[in-house]
Amino acid sequence: MRIYEDLRAVQDRLVVAQRLVLGLMLALLAAFWHLQVLKNRYFLELAESNRIRNVPLVAPRGLLLDRGGNLLVENRASFNILLTPEHAEDLDVTVARLAEALQLDEAAVRERLATRPARFRPAVIRADASFADVAALEARRLELPETGVEVVPLRAYPMRSAAAHALGRVGEVSERQLEQEAFAMVAPGTFIGQAGLEARYNAELMGRDGVRRVVVNSRGAEVAEAERTPPVDGPPLTLTLDASLQAALERAFAGRRGSAAALDPETGEILALGSLPSYDPNAFATGVDTATWRALIGDPMRPLMNRVIQGQYSPGSTFKPIEAMGALAEGVITPQTNIYCPGYLSIYNTVFRCNRPEGHGSIDLRRALAVSCNVFFYQTGVRLEIERIARWSRRFGLGSATGIDLPAEAAGLVPSPEWKQRVFRTPWYAGETVSVAIGQGQLNVTPMQMARATAALAVGKLVQPHLVKAIAGRPVEWPAAQDLGFAPEHLEAVRAGMCDVVGPGGTGWRARVPGVEVCGKTGSAQVVNRARLQRDGAENELIRPHGWFIAFAPRERPRIALAVLVENSGSGAEGAAPVAREILAHFFRVAAPPAPPAVPATATAEAP
Amino acid sequence: MAIDRRLLANLDGPLLLAVSLLCGIGIATIWSATKATVHAELYLKQLTAIGLGLVGMAVVASLDYRRLADRAPFFYAASLLALSYVLFFGPRIAGTRRWLLLGGAQLQPSEFVKLAAALFVAKVFAESRKDELGLGDVVPSGLAVGLLSLLIAAQPDLGTAFCLVPLFLAVALLAGLRVRAVLTLALVGVLAGALGWNFALRDYQKSRVYTFLDPSTDPRGAGYQTIQSQIAVGSGGLTGKGFGNGSQVQLGYLPARQTDFIFSVLAEELGFVGVAVVLSLYLFVLWRALETAQLARDRVGAYLAAGLAATLAFQVVYNVAMVAGLVPVKGLPLPFLSYGGSSVLASLLGIGLILNVRMRRFAN
Repeated sequence: MRIYEDLRAVQDRLVVAQRLVLGLMLALLAAFWHLQVLKNRYFLELAESNRIRNVPLVAPRGLLLDRGGNLLVENRASFNILLTPEHAEDLDVTVARLAEALQLDEAAVRERLATRPARFRPAVIRADASFADVAALEARRLELPETGVEVVPLRAYPMRSAAAHALGRVGEVSERQLEQEAFAMVAPGTFIGQAGLEARYNAELMGRDGVRRVVVNSRGAEVAEAERTPPVDGPPLTLTLDASLQAALERAFAGRRGSAAALDPETGEILALGSLPSYDPNAFATGVDTATWRALIGDPMRPLMNRVIQGQYSPGSTFKPIEAMGALAEGVITPQTNIYCPGYLSIYNTVFRCNRPEGHGSIDLRRALAVSCNVFFYQTGVRLEIERIARWSRRFGLGSATGIDLPAEAAGLVPSPEWKQRVFRTPWYAGETVSVAIGQGQLNVTPMQMARATAALAVGKLVQPHLVKAIAGRPVEWPAAQDLGFAPEHLEAVRAGMCDVVGPGGTGWRARVPGVEVCGKTGSAQVVNRARLQRDGAENELIRPHGWFIAFAPRERPRIALAVLVENSGSGAEGAAPVAREILAHFFRVAAPPAPPAVPATATAEAP
Repeated sequence: MAIDRRLLANLDGPLLLAVSLLCGIGIATIWSATKATVHAELYLKQLTAIGLGLVGMAVVASLDYRRLADRAPFFYAASLLALSYVLFFGPRIAGTRRWLLLGGAQLQPSEFVKLAAALFVAKVFAESRKDELGLGDVVPSGLAVGLLSLLIAAQPDLGTAFCLVPLFLAVALLAGLRVRAVLTLALVGVLAGALGWNFALRDYQKSRVYTFLDPSTDPRGAGYQTIQSQIAVGSGGLTGKGFGNGSQVQLGYLPARQTDFIFSVLAEELGFVGVAVVLSLYLFVLWRALETAQLARDRVGAYLAAGLAATLAFQVVYNVAMVAGLVPVKGLPLPFLSYGGSSVLASLLGIGLILNVRMRRFAN
């Protein structure tokens, strides 16, 4: 039997140990109280954002229909192949497998990964994937749990390049756009309208995206759906365009460059609007690839430009009816005024030539319009003077944007002494008035402005041109046509001249349509001066004048007004009038007349 | 040696009950943590381990602890052998060599080494008859325990290796080691730490320390565990999200949820109330263990119970603090709760030793 050891010192120290343990446990309890009770809300939110992922439900953009209800722009379901790299256990393996399944380069997959908007958000590895891609991926579902397929509505343009400039295109919202207030609600990566009606009516067309709140596990796989707010489709837009007339218009150009707009002269509804060369907006629906973009941007023929509202040209002789209306209204001429044309006008120490070197003799307004006599209008312009020419030009809507519902419209230019003083700080030369009087000089117009001015000649009213008739079936209120207050006999005089343009001996006979009384006016816009044109015109097509033709029909109660510009076609009579004829023939459902006799394209065959 | 009636009468029933409750809570929590996974049957394996552990506990309690302490050198030698064997011949699992394959079972010798070390330290300090100990008195035994610790650290298993430090320090302090000596030791420790940081620690170990200092630097990597565990704990609130209903647990955000982070499962699903209950049970177990040390009839018994209590306290406090994001993540199981046969078995055997000391507190 052993003696009891003296353990008192040890026992005292053990009491300290007990207290230490008690203290530690209380400290731990305090820490858990802090985390679980005091900071509970904060951590609940974190747990919730772990658990819940918001998956946007992209609202399909509104459809675009023509005036007859034909589909111009629609949406089709497309598949995007997604990859969320954070969910991959070994990203290299995942990338390699995915590249193999999609028959892509690994580098290409990594390049796409770099484009995603934020961490933990999937990157679109292949947009608009084929069924074969989707099937290949589904077959490897178990090997690639971090990949996914999403179905998104994709913009589709079934008419391909037709009316591309009016309809526009979509594209990913740019960083600069994201800074603008108009796109405050748009998330990065969203596709928005980037041109044409798609851009102009983007806010309406986008509708409202919905959202699915889904419960996801730690690998990002969806476990359940917590909540769903369905998307609200963008409302359909009914356009004023007529798909069949649009097709006829583009066909009429037969591969030539230029543009044309046709509208209802009473209402301003645009029936057809084409700019050529065009492009296929389908190429932009998933984000355009760099090569295609470079090709479009670098093309010297500028297919992305909407020539109807962005091309600015001298109106040439198509300006003459406008000037005539001003001169009649101001009383500097009457319908009966005769002016002698010797084939030139010598004034201000300069000789201004007529288009007919031997002269037209004594000529009145009606005949002067029909044969496009320059001397008659030189004289008229000199009498009217530049300020009044400018004022009347503006009354026809020249020199300012028409306000058509398309973005980035050019204003054109109506020159005046005041303008010249402001921009060039030089006085106006009287000789410049003579040039402006036949639509040359600094005067610049867009085909849209000319189409509208032609409608004004047809009905005496200035309309608001527009492309959208109704949104979601509700008519859009456009400003009413503005009566220009012309005297009926003045309007009648100019119309008579314009009808003779298409009649026997008129410059625009190639625009004649059987059974329809067409009124028109030819014109050509010089690109370079006469001397250079005669020297180089034969080999350099791009310096040849642009051909204009403006027209309305029928003469009584006109139903259509149009302006056609064919670039570098030499003259309006040969280049533009036949195009106008085909458009009008289609509009009036007349069998296309036989093609006009082939005339060698010479630059000086006709009036400037 | 037969268990006589007097011994049975002195069995610490409340301690046994508290430990059983902890084991039961552990099984339930493991079930909840794994029910939605391919490991859904793990709670059954844990149940088996607990059953084995209770049998082992009875066996250990029935042998007089003094006799066991007399064989401490043998246990120490066996520990060295097992640890060396594992280090050189053990299977490599998840980059570590911790396991001993015995038949179909995997054993983690390091868990049992803690028991051997407790017996060894108790025996060595009980032999000393000084009232006050200087640094020189503890160096030889310190080196002996340090060797075990180093072998475990080399597996690598820093958590378990470090468990031997509080064991040794607690017994040494009880035996009269001067506080000044402990401070000197701490200084040496800091120096050793600095050297270890530069020459011994592996990158993943360093990154854990960095990540602990600022978990947000690597939210998907090493800091992920800490962040997710804190979210689980914090979002549990006062009463929890309900048993089997923790989103962090059930959706798989919580790593190592049936092993090192099991306490975070409990905190999320049962809330602060569950946390308080379990911490109270641990406090009770530790309190009884330290009480046993006070009641022990001799130094060996007191040191053995106190040493075991120290390791247990260290493991519980460190693990729970880790779950709360207060200390860096280390692979350290929570005794009785975490899934793991070796851990449960060794913990129950340790309780067996403590029961043993208390049963034999009266002279004989």
